Amino acid sequence: MKTVFINCSPKKRFCASAYFLFLQRLFVVGEKVCEKLRTPADHARILEQLRDAQAVVFGLPLYVDAVPSHVLRFMEEMERFCRENGLKLSVYCVANNGFIEGKQNEPLMQNFENFCSRAGLTFGGGVGIGGGVMLNVTRILFIVDIGLLVLNTLLSEINTGNLFPRDAWISFAENAALLLYFNLGVLFYLARQGGHIRKGTAGGKKYTRILIPSFIFILFADIFFVIISVIDGGIFRGWLAKKEPSET
Amino acid sequence: MKVILHDLDRCYDEVIGAKCDRAIVADGKYAPCQGCFGCWTKHPAECFMKDTLQQVCRIIGQADEMVIVTKNLYGGYSAAVKNVLDRSIGTSTPFSTYRGRQMHHTLRYGKHDLWKVIVYGEISEAEKRQLSVRWRRGMPSTTAMNGLKSSFWTT
Repeated sequence: MKTVFINCSPKKRFCASAYFLFLQRLFVVGEKVCEKLRTPADHARILEQLRDAQAVVFGLPLYVDAVPSHVLRFMEEMERFCRENGLKLSVYCVANNGFIEGKQNEPLMQNFENFCSRAGLTFGGGVGIGGGVMLNVTRILFIVDIGLLVLNTLLSEINTGNLFPRDAWISFAENAALLLYFNLGVLFYLARQGGHIRKGTAGGKKYTRILIPSFIFILFADIFFVIISVIDGGIFRGWLAKKEPSET
Repeated sequence: MKVILHDLDRCYDEVIGAKCDRAIVADGKYAPCQGCFGCWTKHPAECFMKDTLQQVCRIIGQADEMVIVTKNLYGGYSAAVKNVLDRSIGTSTPFSTYRGRQMHHTLRYGKHDLWKVIVYGEISEAEKRQLSVRWRRGMPSTTAMNGLKSSFWTT
């Protein structure tokens, strides 16, 4: 069985969609092909991969309540391609948005359902994930934690000959458990969807989020944007001002 | 100010131009949003891409009446119109708030007096149902972002 995973994020690196597709791949067996969709130049290559595939998984961000425009262009082309070649694929999606409610991905899921209906494909379902950006940060924090653990272990070995510094390992285990907890909802639904992809069945639309209270999430999101805006300088350039168009 | 955003053929330019103060033609030739958030964090209400959409959020944000004419695509906006909307998130600010019991960004320009969408082209019953359900709910954040007094028509 061949499954094509399409990362539809326009970002070149550190995108949340890549993280969630990575997790989704863990729960799928058989031949797995990963593709990146950023420009129309990617269309032909991805469509060729679909010829002998049984399932396709779109990993994408939510833009203004729906599918990003560059993905819509691809879907139009894919619809024609699938009808002309009589392809019978199962389509799944893993959508994420910056807001905390995964349910905000619902219009996007409906776009995919309508797309499948027009292209003669089977909509296998999708997972809508809230707090995608923050969950993506948790994987970076996990990598940093591993780096710190390795560093502490090396220092401990050099200084005391002890290859198992207890405090460092306990601290690592605590942090890892916390990060895992934040991701539990996502892991559960991606594992569930992975089962449906393996069996070629439809799992329906499911919504989940980072597992923290929304008022804390909003506080962290605001702090995040303040820090980034200070670094980028936007905070000093009329950050919240009602800017006038400079052209006529 | 009345603004019309449309993906119609250029032969309608004159007719549409006479009905509004500003027309935005979604001809599908614009670069898509790159998701960098620079229009929030680096150069507020301005895109880093120097094309005719660079300040489109300022025009849409300042519209008292916003009319969108779009071909139906899977129960939503056409790719060309969606491209313009994706590039206009600078109408909001990076700060978040609750609206309609959901998290949304605060508005840089406030609400519009009118936000109307006219959908044309072939449309299935399921797509029509989706559009009407979404609109009854207030088209979640598109309208939450741009104003709540909204309606849609199919042709």
